[in-house]
Amino acid sequence: MAGGNPSVPAAVLRRFLCRGCLRKAAGRQARLLSTVPTVPFRKQLKDEARQRRISDGAAEPSRQRASDTATENWELTVGIEVHAQLNTRHKLFSKAATSFNDPANSHVAFVDAAFPGAQPIFQRETLVPALRAAIALGCSVNRKSAFDRKHYFYRDQPAGYQITQYYQPLAKDGFITLYEYDGIAPEDGKEVRVGIKQIQMEQDTAKTIHQPPSTYLLDFNRVSHPLIEIITLPHIHHPATAAACVRKIQAILNAVNAAVLGMELGGLRADVNVSVRPKNQPEEQGVGAKYHGITGLGQRTEIKNLSSFKAVEDAVKAERDRQIRVLEAGGVIEGETRGWALGSTETRKLRGKEGEVDYRYMPDPDLGPVVIAKDLIDHIKHSLPPLPDDRFKVLTSSDLHYNLTPKDAKTLLNLDDGDRIEYYKNVADEIRRRLLGSERGDGGGGGGGRSFTVNDEAVTKVGKMTGNWLLHELGGLLATSGTTWEENPVDETSLADILTFLSLRKITGTTAKTLLSLKFYGSDSRPIPQIISEDKLALQPLSEDELRDLANEVMRGNEKMVRAVREKGEVGKLGWFIGQMVKRGGGGRVEAQEAERVVREILGVGLARRS
Amino acid sequence: MSLLREAERCLGNLQRFKTLNAFINSVRDERALLEGVREADARRELGKTKSAIDGRLIAIKDNICTLDYPTTCASGILKGFQSPFDATVVKNLQNSGAVIVGKTNLDEFGMGSHSNQSRFGVVKHIRAGLNGETLSPGGSSGGSAVAVASGQCHAALGTDTGGSVRLPASYCGIVGFKPSYGLVSRWGVVAYANSLDTVGVLAGDSKTAKDLFDAIDGFDPQDPTSVPVSTRSRIADLRARRRRKAPLRIGVPAEYNVKELSPVIRQTWLESLQHLQSLGHEIYPISLPTTQLALSAYYVLAPAEASSNLARYDGVRYGASGDANDAVGGVLYAETRGKGFGDEVKRRILLGAYSLSAEAMDNYFIQAQRIRRLVQQDFNSVFSLPNALLLTSYDDSISGEAESARSSVKVDVLLCPTAPTLPPTLESLNGNSPLDAYVNDVFTVPASLAGLPAISQPVGFSGKGSNTCGVDSVGMQIIAQYGDDELVFDVARMIEEFGRARSQ
Repeated sequence: MAGGNPSVPAAVLRRFLCRGCLRKAAGRQARLLSTVPTVPFRKQLKDEARQRRISDGAAEPSRQRASDTATENWELTVGIEVHAQLNTRHKLFSKAATSFNDPANSHVAFVDAAFPGAQPIFQRETLVPALRAAIALGCSVNRKSAFDRKHYFYRDQPAGYQITQYYQPLAKDGFITLYEYDGIAPEDGKEVRVGIKQIQMEQDTAKTIHQPPSTYLLDFNRVSHPLIEIITLPHIHHPATAAACVRKIQAILNAVNAAVLGMELGGLRADVNVSVRPKNQPEEQGVGAKYHGITGLGQRTEIKNLSSFKAVEDAVKAERDRQIRVLEAGGVIEGETRGWALGSTETRKLRGKEGEVDYRYMPDPDLGPVVIAKDLIDHIKHSLPPLPDDRFKVLTSSDLHYNLTPKDAKTLLNLDDGDRIEYYKNVADEIRRRLLGSERGDGGGGGGGRSFTVNDEAVTKVGKMTGNWLLHELGGLLATSGTTWEENPVDETSLADILTFLSLRKITGTTAKTLLSLKFYGSDSRPIPQIISEDKLALQPLSEDELRDLANEVMRGNEKMVRAVREKGEVGKLGWFIGQMVKRGGGGRVEAQEAERVVREILGVGLARRS
Repeated sequence: MSLLREAERCLGNLQRFKTLNAFINSVRDERALLEGVREADARRELGKTKSAIDGRLIAIKDNICTLDYPTTCASGILKGFQSPFDATVVKNLQNSGAVIVGKTNLDEFGMGSHSNQSRFGVVKHIRAGLNGETLSPGGSSGGSAVAVASGQCHAALGTDTGGSVRLPASYCGIVGFKPSYGLVSRWGVVAYANSLDTVGVLAGDSKTAKDLFDAIDGFDPQDPTSVPVSTRSRIADLRARRRRKAPLRIGVPAEYNVKELSPVIRQTWLESLQHLQSLGHEIYPISLPTTQLALSAYYVLAPAEASSNLARYDGVRYGASGDANDAVGGVLYAETRGKGFGDEVKRRILLGAYSLSAEAMDNYFIQAQRIRRLVQQDFNSVFSLPNALLLTSYDDSISGEAESARSSVKVDVLLCPTAPTLPPTLESLNGNSPLDAYVNDVFTVPASLAGLPAISQPVGFSGKGSNTCGVDSVGMQIIAQYGDDELVFDVARMIEEFGRARSQ
């Protein structure tokens, strides 16, 4: 994946962009890199875990925020509308290329700029990613769908209407399951199922660039970029779950190659509908609002155009608190459209009911219905790439060799738009292949009497070990040097080499770290095996006697600690002895595991269970 | 007569009849134009003529995009607008060797029945009324009709949404043909009501009209509603399978014999039928019960689509825009659109916006669509040729409905007047309500709603003195099943001989 686009893998680009646009895409990398914020996803997961601990432990009520007590009496209900740019080569109704950050107005067909006499031609291939999304989200695809015009005047809307699917959408009745590891609110327990009402295809609008005080520049490149709008049912009751839902929708769309530009690049936008109602209010009271067949809800407000997961969570939280405040003060919630600015603490009113637009939906008289044959749906169903949940299962299952912790698996899956997990799998698979290969190869040879058992055990650990090295060792180097994943200088082969040698216990962990650092900072271009042999880094293990001598030597000057371990069972102190042995052994000749074994034997404390 | 002589005669008439105001823009470069005609003459000598219209001067209605002339739609909002592309029909004409002579005047965006709703002034009929009054040339393709009638061009393109080619043809005593919906490309034709808009032809005789139609008939991948090649061959199959031995069965729809029908028109209709009968064809009374409802449905559907199509005229990307502020009183584009559009256009935008609004949608737009379906079923039940569009439809219920509505008598074509009256004077229209103007479309709208081919063929009045307004002919409309455009021309030719003999 080296040299890939930061957000759109090169292979994907090649598939969907025209050659001219691909050239431009290559040229825009530099620009993109500077705009991509490093997503502190691990930090987010940690924060969430911490919050979970806090709310689990009733021992810390003082740390609960004031709003939490208010929410005790109120139930929040949220429905989400996600707009995602489909990964297609052409616009929805013209042959103009889809683009991102290209020179303004360089991809505009006559119909995109709504020239008189120009007509839309539905680009059939845009159906493919839309159908992948619909199927991945468990929807049933309508055999017949149709396009409608939604009318409103705005500068970014050249025709005076947006072509969307109002009366007969592409797909309906889907669902998405959110699990604990997706970051749902602790109150939601192990999983939440959020219904999806429908998925429709529609056009994106132009980009407006405001030049204060009164100039608006328009870039029509984005006009008619194909979008899908995913409308969930109001099945969400916690801000964190709302964010998790949007995050998971993005992950699914990305996994099935339906939409590859994430929220941070404007490829995904969300509107949320928020309402609150008193808890324990009987449903059959017959009062309250009804949305998508869900009855007894409070009056909802819509918050438009949220462009990050954090914004989704924060905006829902702020709007919930605002509504509760209003209601508890005896006020009434108005059905209105509200906005949210990044970093703010309050949603703000954009327009009220009186400012509501009657969109005057009309079937588009130029565009015929879209009739989708069953065999197309079947084909897409069968060729669908694995979904995040499936991949998660593969990565965490102990039956399969990756055997990652849920946290590490989730982290790897979410990092760098899936590039990190590709890298992970390639490295882990390669190490595994080599270990199994060397087992056969070494089996008949001399000198490696114990390699057989070592490999057997090592193979089972490859998945976890590779995960640790990728997230912590390499991850640490990336973080401290401020390097993005796209610029990662350590190729898959080098890491696989290092970790294979380590697994075979041909180098020590310390040596492995040194090698990784060498490769990372690009100070040594020789292949790993060459470095090891030329620089004599291979582990030349001490004999059993030499090990015992070394251990005794270390203990001799530290009788007090020896007693502490022997008599009081302070096994925690073992680490110090081991560290001393590794250090004094010199030249990477002492493996920590071996040192521990010997120290434990001498001191008479049982071997720790290898985990 | 050489092509050059004909062209020169047209150019002479352009000067002579300037006051009729048939053109908005014409003849940019006379030398180049005549050079094109000379080349066609040369080709003709060598027997290498490109087509029947090679070297002929053709006028284009100014709602059809051209690179050589601005395209204004007779609207203030597109004043001076230069389209960046040619409409497919314009390219087709040029590929056939035709020479574009200019852009003709019309009712703004095609909305009108008398060509008096133009930002560039009214179009005048070539004939004056009995007392010298200015007569309506009909609309909205009045400029094209007058250009043909006054010999300013060989033939012309118009557009017909609810009768805009047929009505002016009838008023001006020429042939006006509206093809089956989707046969002629609409790419580059400025949309008024997409589901009804067709490009039609206006000519002095049916053969010229057919020549022009042949040049523009064909599939265009740029028009999503263009009838694909597969459907065209299905239509050809259906037509070939029909037993084509004389006599023709000609239907007379009872609902068109309204009490408002001008007596001279009723008389001419009768005489035309008698003529066809004398040729050995059979006349059958038939019924199209939804005719009465069709006009109302049309005036809901067409404005609805128009209100949507005209939303793009905001002065931002092209066309005229208002002064600095484009959001007067907080309403975006209010000034630009308020100044740019004429009254009739504004009226239809409001009508359409209302009938699409949430409160009115069900009672107006949806009902009108139902009526449209009934109108189509009416026609399907009287024509012997099946509707090719319904045969392999994925929605089988539609053809099922058509089956159940089967009428006992099946006919090949319908013959009826194009309009209920002779051309009114422009003055008489002034005090009228817009509804009075809409009534002129009552006979043309049904074929538009059903997408059927229809021609208005002029037939001269029999006795002198029956002429009550200054004209000496009236249009007889021939309507056929979807895709049966050839038959429309065949029947037009039959009454053409008869009509021509009498108008001389």
